[in-house]
Amino acid sequence: MSTQSHSSSPTDIPAPLLPLLQLLSSVFLTLQSTFKRIPGSPIIVRYIKSSYQDDPWRSLLEVLLIAFAVRTLLMGRTRGEGAGKNFIKLTEKEIDELVDEWKPQPLVEEPNDLDHLTLSTVPTIYGPNGARVKLSPAGKTVLNMTIPNWQGFVENEKMKQVAIETLRNYGVGTCGPSGFYGTIDVHMKLEEDIASFLGTEAAIIYAQAFAAVSSVIPAFAKRGDIIVADRGVNFAIHKGLQISRSTIRWYAHGDMKDLERVLQNVEREQKRKGGKLTKKFIVAEGVFENDGMMLELPKVLELKYKYKYRLILDESQSFGMVGAHGRGITEHYGVPASEVDMILGSMATGLATGGGFCAGSYHVCNHQRINSSASVFSASLPAMLATTASTAISILNSQPALQSTLQANILLFRQILSKLEPLPMTESGVPTIGSSSTAGSMPPPPVPNKDAIIHIPSHINSALIHIFLLNPPPTTEAEERLLQEVVDEVVSKSDVLITRARRLRGQEIFEPEPSLKVCISSSFSRKEIEKAAKGLREALVKVCGKKR
Amino acid sequence: WTSQWNPDEPIHALEEERPPYHVLIATYLSYLLLIVLGHVRDFFGKRFRQSHYSHLMEHDGYAALNSDFDSFYVRRLKKRLDDCFARPVTGVAGRTIQLLDRTGPDDNSSFELTGGYTRALNVSSYNYLGFASSTGGCADAVDAAIRRYGISGAGPRHDASTLDLHHQTEKLVARFLGVEAAMVVSMGFATNSTNIPALVSKGCLVISDEFNHASIRFGVRLSGASLRTFKHNDMHALEALLREVISQGQPRTHRPWKKILVIVEGLYSMEGSLLNLPMFMELKRRYKFYAYVDEAHSIGAIGPNGRGVCDYFGIDPREIDVLMGTFTKSFGAAGGYIAGSKELIDRLRLRSHAMAYAESMSPPVLTQILASMASIMGVAPPLAAPAGEELDTMSVASRPTAYGPASSSTLPSWFSLPTPLLNGTEGREKLRRLAFNSRYLSSGLRKLGFIVYGHRDSPIIPLLLYQPAKMHYFSQMMLKRFGADKTPIVVVIVAYPATPLITSRVRFCLSASHTKNDIDMLLRACDEVGDALDLKHGKQTMKVEEVIAAAEELVASNF
Repeated sequence: MSTQSHSSSPTDIPAPLLPLLQLLSSVFLTLQSTFKRIPGSPIIVRYIKSSYQDDPWRSLLEVLLIAFAVRTLLMGRTRGEGAGKNFIKLTEKEIDELVDEWKPQPLVEEPNDLDHLTLSTVPTIYGPNGARVKLSPAGKTVLNMTIPNWQGFVENEKMKQVAIETLRNYGVGTCGPSGFYGTIDVHMKLEEDIASFLGTEAAIIYAQAFAAVSSVIPAFAKRGDIIVADRGVNFAIHKGLQISRSTIRWYAHGDMKDLERVLQNVEREQKRKGGKLTKKFIVAEGVFENDGMMLELPKVLELKYKYKYRLILDESQSFGMVGAHGRGITEHYGVPASEVDMILGSMATGLATGGGFCAGSYHVCNHQRINSSASVFSASLPAMLATTASTAISILNSQPALQSTLQANILLFRQILSKLEPLPMTESGVPTIGSSSTAGSMPPPPVPNKDAIIHIPSHINSALIHIFLLNPPPTTEAEERLLQEVVDEVVSKSDVLITRARRLRGQEIFEPEPSLKVCISSSFSRKEIEKAAKGLREALVKVCGKKR
Repeated sequence: WTSQWNPDEPIHALEEERPPYHVLIATYLSYLLLIVLGHVRDFFGKRFRQSHYSHLMEHDGYAALNSDFDSFYVRRLKKRLDDCFARPVTGVAGRTIQLLDRTGPDDNSSFELTGGYTRALNVSSYNYLGFASSTGGCADAVDAAIRRYGISGAGPRHDASTLDLHHQTEKLVARFLGVEAAMVVSMGFATNSTNIPALVSKGCLVISDEFNHASIRFGVRLSGASLRTFKHNDMHALEALLREVISQGQPRTHRPWKKILVIVEGLYSMEGSLLNLPMFMELKRRYKFYAYVDEAHSIGAIGPNGRGVCDYFGIDPREIDVLMGTFTKSFGAAGGYIAGSKELIDRLRLRSHAMAYAESMSPPVLTQILASMASIMGVAPPLAAPAGEELDTMSVASRPTAYGPASSSTLPSWFSLPTPLLNGTEGREKLRRLAFNSRYLSSGLRKLGFIVYGHRDSPIIPLLLYQPAKMHYFSQMMLKRFGADKTPIVVVIVAYPATPLITSRVRFCLSASHTKNDIDMLLRACDEVGDALDLKHGKQTMKVEEVIAAAEELVASNF
């Protein structure tokens, strides 16, 4: 009431307060009028007034009663969580009996036959790893085509020198997470090096690439956010998606039409539902770890802008492998790296040291320093792995010739193997495989190959090559055994070490088909590549050809 | 002094000391003030300085990358203390550490290095045994390893990236711990997050201590198993929970759990509290759960032989199903291990995400582990092996829990260590020094009237600060000392979310490389700053010089 009287005599109120008071009084009035409009409201008012006059204690009691009722209601709801209806009250004796009765399953199950095969076929390298290795202490040297050694950094002498210098200044471990005196100057230098090499604003490094990938995604994508992911993404991404608890939509592997369809579906759904604007991400890999295919980045970028998505791109394999300087698929397609919101990469594959990184804008990287659990709760990268990674980047920057050697090696290898593929490659190396990679005019009409026994979906520029069987045996186990036979044959006949792609059967979201994995390096000579490819071709024909 | 369980001494302080009420109220009030101020600044900032908030708001149809609500704590509370966190350093994180000086001109939004350096006493790094070093026997071994092996382990372990060095390290780790087999992973965090999902799945229950490390929670979430937590280090609460979950079975269906895995830590990194292992083992026998003990901080740091909590309490390590630990701390290396029975490790090799998809551990890191571990154990010439029996596959009954030296046959042939490391004298010396330092500082701070958490044998010593503003001051005043002695000291301050909101603390991590003088200096510094900031909320029973004079008695007494 007093507000009204004040506003009616405006003379003794300072002018700037007038609108405020007017607002207050109008709010008060609307409240009053709405209350009056509620049916039965005069009765309540009368009741309160009269009861207060008769007996103030009674009204107090009534208020307390209401409060108590509300409290019991709330209590009931919280208790429902743990115990509730489903909780069975048992006596102590009954509990004791149940405890005695309970027999847990063994902590680990008995390994099956395939497990034994997996365990017994893991090779051990005696001495240093690299392009040429020994499989027993006094054994012969074999060509190692299983490790991601794209540019031959594994055996680089310069990097060893740098590592020893670093050891003499920094020791080995950092003895602390980056928040607690674990940020060394060499870490900051490496972050700057990565950012300027790729051309992003900033970068952040992690102590392991696998953990980086699975921790960056949940640092941004939360419950309620939407992630559209390629069905072919690697295991680390799967784990990241799982932790994020976001809504996940899959699109067919490498199929841009399907991606657009999924994006449209999401848009339609969101329009129908309305509600708050959520974060939306597309997650894909540059070169896919599971089959070596390459992402059609320009198309993805186009769609990302059209439908307002952010792109998380895992370049763990492609960083150091493709592009004129090895900057990854952004360089390959000539797209500025800053167009991709988050580029994940690995220093352990392309640079042959250790750890992973995420490059992006300043805000993207800074956010992770406090919100990404693998960065916050883990000791930082050993100093020598950081300095050697910096060295490797400067080598990549200054020696583009490495890339052309690598590409020539890949091409040679693929040409030799293509004789077993459904559509053999022409001499000039025009890729005839893959439906999406070369649209439009393809000069010679492909001749179907009747000797075809394998299928290689990997991109022609990818140093990571997966070989799939065209007519696999009926069961996965038989197929794995067959591929292992090929691996054994190649190593015993041609002294070339390749591997079957190791999977975690039973833990993958989509079970990948068994395949052989071959990694090409620029440190192999043309002769070695030729020998290896021919050896592998013969082994494939020998082991798989006869079974058809 | 050795770090060993004294049955007369309680494992926990019976009643944790509580601060006076005015401290609690002041703490709540200061958080309230910070929150209100923060919201006021956000409210006006969003309207008048939009460019500073662009990354927090919707723009062009994109939702904000991180909402202002989620990042409120970081922007408005933590940022005020940011110059105490993530200080960049250079060189070895040893007894002392070299800081790169920096300034934060724009309210800590960004920092600029001034180019200067400050050398400070380091009571912050997890360098418990002082093996982080750029010189000495271990560094020489690593040097040789780099020349021989290079620096890369290359790809995942299951592809051809398992070196002979990996096998040798895994053998030595198993021997060190006194179990059958072990497996190493290239990152400590990933050791938990990639192996827990390989052990449990849907239909299994994981019971976890409420203060377990983030990597454990990460791993449990990936596994799909159900999760229950119990009150920190409270074995009675664990027992009550076990009785409930076993008798009730799975929610809704009431079917019995397939298996129950209880995950605890040996030594808690924020509390300094030690697992009550004797009682835990009793519960294990009664309730048949599987035990997973994370010894990230206790391995190397606790026990008369440096073998962690099992060694400390004199319990056979083979009774614990899964032993996990890291090499980042006591061994001055990186990565982690899982150890246990041979069946367990074989199974994990097959199912662990890290084995199939993550990079393998790099040779210099492996060598650092080999060298530091061997020098804790001491190396013995190979014994004539009993006919037809391998050394490390003895049954539980046949071997007493005495931790022997490493046999020289398990180490690489090119490996050479100087004599004090070879015969284990230096290792023993380090363990004793660490045990003395821990007990001395912990008891000394209590006598000075500070509220200190944790076990007295723990090298992690948290000192409670409570009010948020004091965190900043404490850190600054230790770095820029105002007393007679100006030696800077770097400390770690920990606040929410790593600890409960009100119990902000400073955490000292001691090392065997600290001398008694270092600890004396730290005590004097704490006394100085503690008086200035009014931190002595307990009862002060001794003056600082009295504490320093009575160091030996303090360590030996069990109060």
